[in-house]
Parts: sequence; structure tokens; C-alpha cells
Amino acid sequence: MSDVRTESGAPTRAPADPPQHEPPLRAGRRPGAGDIARHFLTMREGSIVVVTVLAAIYFALQNDHFFTQANFENLLPYFAPFAILAAGEVLLMVAGEIDLSIGSVYLFAPFMFYEFNQAGIGLIPCLILALLCCAVVGIINGVFTEIIGVSSFITTLGMLLGLGGLTLIISHAQPVAMPGAEVTSKTVNVTQVVNGQTVTLPEKVNEIGTFARIFGGGIYSELIWALIIVVAVQVLLTLTRWGMYTIAVGGNKHGAAEAGINVRVTVIRNFIVCSVFAGFVGVLEAVRASSVTPDTAGASETMFRAVSAAVIGGTLLAGGQGTAVGALFGALFLGILRDGLTLEGVNADYLDFILGVAILFAMVINVYVGRVRKGSGRG
Amino acid sequence: MADDRVVQPDAARASDDVLRIEHVAKRFGPVTALRDINLHLRKGEVLGLLGDNGAGKSTLMKIISGFQKPDEGRIVVNGEETDLRSVDHARSLGIDCVYQDLALINELSVYHNMFLKREKLIRPLPILANRAMKREARAALDQIGVNVPRLDVPVARLSGGQRQAIAVARTVNSDADIILLDEPLAAMGAKEGAMILDLVARLRAEGRVSIIMIAHNYVHVLQSCDRVNLIQDGEITFDRPTAETSVEELNEIVVEEYRRARTAAIGAEGRA
Repeated sequence: MSDVRTESGAPTRAPADPPQHEPPLRAGRRPGAGDIARHFLTMREGSIVVVTVLAAIYFALQNDHFFTQANFENLLPYFAPFAILAAGEVLLMVAGEIDLSIGSVYLFAPFMFYEFNQAGIGLIPCLILALLCCAVVGIINGVFTEIIGVSSFITTLGMLLGLGGLTLIISHAQPVAMPGAEVTSKTVNVTQVVNGQTVTLPEKVNEIGTFARIFGGGIYSELIWALIIVVAVQVLLTLTRWGMYTIAVGGNKHGAAEAGINVRVTVIRNFIVCSVFAGFVGVLEAVRASSVTPDTAGASETMFRAVSAAVIGGTLLAGGQGTAVGALFGALFLGILRDGLTLEGVNADYLDFILGVAILFAMVINVYVGRVRKGSGRG
Repeated sequence: MADDRVVQPDAARASDDVLRIEHVAKRFGPVTALRDINLHLRKGEVLGLLGDNGAGKSTLMKIISGFQKPDEGRIVVNGEETDLRSVDHARSLGIDCVYQDLALINELSVYHNMFLKREKLIRPLPILANRAMKREARAALDQIGVNVPRLDVPVARLSGGQRQAIAVARTVNSDADIILLDEPLAAMGAKEGAMILDLVARLRAEGRVSIIMIAHNYVHVLQSCDRVNLIQDGEITFDRPTAETSVEELNEIVVEEYRRARTAAIGAEGRA
């Protein structure tokens, strides 16, 4: 208010200051390098990016093989699938819920894919049907959580166990070869110039089908999917109504309802997306390995790593805040640690111990940078 | 209590009523929040709603804004009886509410909060038009006279008064023509409170919107409102233009209620 309200009892001042739209410090000054660095660090993703880069530099200095293409290809399966799983989890965690059942969904989807294929259905329709099954799992999780009112931790814990069991039943606890991921070998004539002479020799080449190349089999397939999905989730979270309502529900459920947001729809559709992503990663991984084993313990571990990646990346368990890009870096950090330590030749017995300590250390840095962020006025 | 103070449902009717509440009741399990509410709001009018804590003021607001459904009774908006299905539905009929708890999302920026559920998009893409929303939010806040330094910070970082002002600005800036203000002066300093009262006075002078305002301060109500209703124990027990009543009269009614409650309590003890 620019005029002075004497009748309100407010102290009378000479013509009040015009509204200040920017803090005075910023006015009339271009941001310098220090400001940009500070701005970057105070982004929600900033700290995990720094921690990840530091980890990469450490391993690169320790080992010449770290920054090679061969090692990068080794690293991919350690992180790309978890980035996708974590992106889905971020969406749900921002809404204030958690999905533990992604471990079982990840296992369940390839077996459904296999069963549909056995029924004589084509590969792409099989994939769609398997993902629809995952969507149903998401709906069930959402209905139990949001309509019946069981906490999502309990709902999805039940689903984790139940769906893992169901997968064991339908698979008879036997591994299956993944349809569409068959490796075909053929002999081709390769012409080479050797010592100035053209030589044509037969050579054996392993090939996988187009479906397999796109959905997990290709070297960079999972990485490309991970990047697409992470960017999509990040855009969804920051630039669309869906994301805005997700943040609103996670931040203040009652207030969001009062503002007219349909809380149930918002939460249930995030459950569906999270579940579908998990199923999709399950199929990608099964195609990549060209077979799938109903290993429920491994599935739970996969889930824990994905949730860790999301949390390390800067997403709050309490809801209201989160970032898919952070989750990608969280997954990359975990991947680099695992890959780097393996490259170092660390005894397998020590691996998880060191991982655990490293995660705690990374989170401490995260918390401290987070305090700087709060102080700087960025949420 | 004098009979002329009590609203009769038939009396609570006028051709220019934008909102009529008839025999509305609401119970939460064994607790009766609203017994039998009859209330009307004329076009361009500012109606002050007084009442003790727990008298049912906020419940009534939540029913009018579509957040809760009444167990009984009729709601007539702009001459048409309607069953307010949801907040969205009420809003589509031009009813918007500033809740006592403000319904702000701490994690969202000031301008996102101001456009919550009324977002602007970059058509045809489903992408939020942040720049346009920020600009309009700034214009709306400037018009009201609220000084918020930055609109891209989360509202968690604002003072109680600024938060209140943003919640009020959000509703006033919407297309609503029936505005409900549930204790808009709570959590306000004197200066900020004056700003809100000033805004209400301006809206009253314009006469475009009709307002129901809950307040505790009789002086504010007599200053800002055209008419005052008193809600006691789930019923409207007093309805009179502010020009025909006074702080003394309102005080007397409330003291009388207190005395009656005391007598009843003592009577109950005596019987026990």
C-alpha cells in the first residue's frame, strides 16, 4: 500500500516506499561467476551433482580405466535402470507417498510379458499389455492408500510381498528366456585390406532383433530411455499442472483439497505412472539379460536402490519437494561408487559396507548444502 | 431473546439475493455443527458473520464453498437451487473462499499459489505460462497494495500477514462474485489488517462482488459490513443492518448467551 492509513493506527510515515520487487543487493549488478556457482549449488540438484562429479574425479585419478568407453558401458546397467525407477518414485514421493512395490512390479512385468507372448501375442502388444497390468497394480496401490486410507508404506509393502509371491506362482519359480531378445548368430563375409591386399573372410556376427535393440538390448538403449523419462518427469513436475498439483498435495494435502485439487486423482495417477515405469524397467532389464529369474530378494534390493537414488538426489521423504534430475544423479552416484569400487578391486565383502558409509557421507553434504540453500531463499 | 432479532426463513428472501441458505444442517458424528441455518446475501453486500468459536461459522463457510456437503437444507445461488458438489463446482458458480488456514502450499511459489486451480497455460501445450502468471500476480498484488519482494520464492518464506494477503488476493483476483472470507484478519498486524479492511471497503464501494466475512472484532464488522448476522449454537440468531445495531447491543447478546449457558449448566448440575 502506497498511501498511509492513519485511521488504522499504523505509524504515520512520509510517502511510503514504492514496493521493492527485487532485493536491493541485486539491483543494477550483473551476476558474476561466484553468483552463478552459488546459484548452481543452491539448486536442489546442485549438491548431488557436485558429489557425483567428485566421486567420478576420485575414481578417474585412482584408475586409468575409469574414463574409458568400455567402463562407461559397464557402468550403464548400474545406473540407467535405477534412474528410471527413481524418477517414478520421485513423482510419488513428491506427492507425499512411497511405493515399495516397484521391486515386485519390476519382476512381475517381464513374466507377464512372457505369458502374453506364450499366448501368441506380438512383442509390442505384449509390452503394452504387461504395462497395463502394472498400471492396474498402481491403481490398486492408489485405491488402498487414497480411498481406503491405508498408509502407502503398508499398502505397497503388502503389494511388494504379494506380487512377488504371485510372480513366483505364475513362473513356477523357474527362469524363462525373454521373448524377442534371442541372439541370432550369422556368418557374413567381411572384406578387409591387409598388407595392400583385399581379403574377404567369413566372420561370425551376433545380432539381436530390432525390438530388443530398442527395449533394453542395445548398449545405449536403457540410457536413452532413462534420459527421456527423467527429462519427461522433470518437465511434468516443474512445468505442468500435474506436477504443480503433485507438489501441492505432497506439501499440504488439506490445503490442496480446499483449493479444489482432486487429491485422489492426483495421487492415484502418480501411483500408476510409478508402477508402469517399474514394469517398463523390468522388461528392459529382462531383454538386456535375455532371460529373467524370479528372484524376489533381488527385486527388493532393486527397489531399495531406486528409493535411495531418489532420496540421495534431493527428494524429501516427507513430500512436497523433489527432482527427477537429482534422482538421475543419485542413481549415477550409486552406479559410479559400485563400478569404481569394483574397478578398484575392492573385496566384494567390503563393497556394501563402503557403499553404506559413502551414502551417509553424501547425505551429510546434501544436508549442509541444503542449509545454504534455505539461507539463500531458494526452496 | 427478542423475536425481531431471529431470522425467519421467509423473511430471509429478497429478489436480489445472490445466495440463500435455507434450513441447512450439518452433523459430524454425534456433534451437531449446524442446526438450522437460514441466511441470505444480497448483490454487492458485505455481510459480517459473528459467533463464538465452535458456533459453526467455519463449517458454514466450507459448505458454501463446496468443500463439505450439508446433511439437510437448500442452497440457492443466483436464484437457482443447487447441490454444491465440489470446490470446483462452487467456483464455477462464482463462489470462492479464503479459508481460515489459507489453503496455501508452502512449497509452491507465490505466483503459483495465486493461480492454483486457475493456472494459465501456453496453449496448445499443457505447459504452465509462468511468465504471464508472474506478471499478473504482480499486478494483482500491486493493485491491492501488498508488498511481496519476490514472487518466485516459496510462500513458506513469507510472514503471516503476507500469506494472508496473498490468499485474499488470490480469491479477489479470481472471477468470483461471491467471496467468503474466514477470519481474514487473523495473523495480521495492525497495518496489514488495515490493508485487508481497506480492500473490503473498496470492493464494497465497487459493488461488483458480494462478501461474507467472518470476524471477531465487532468494531471491524460494524465498520466494514452492510449487515451483521450472529451465529449461535448452529443457528443464526441475529440479523440486522449494521446501521441499526451497535457494539453494545452485540456485546449484550453474547453476554446474554453466556449467562444462559451458565444457568443451564448450573441447572444441569443441580439435577444431577
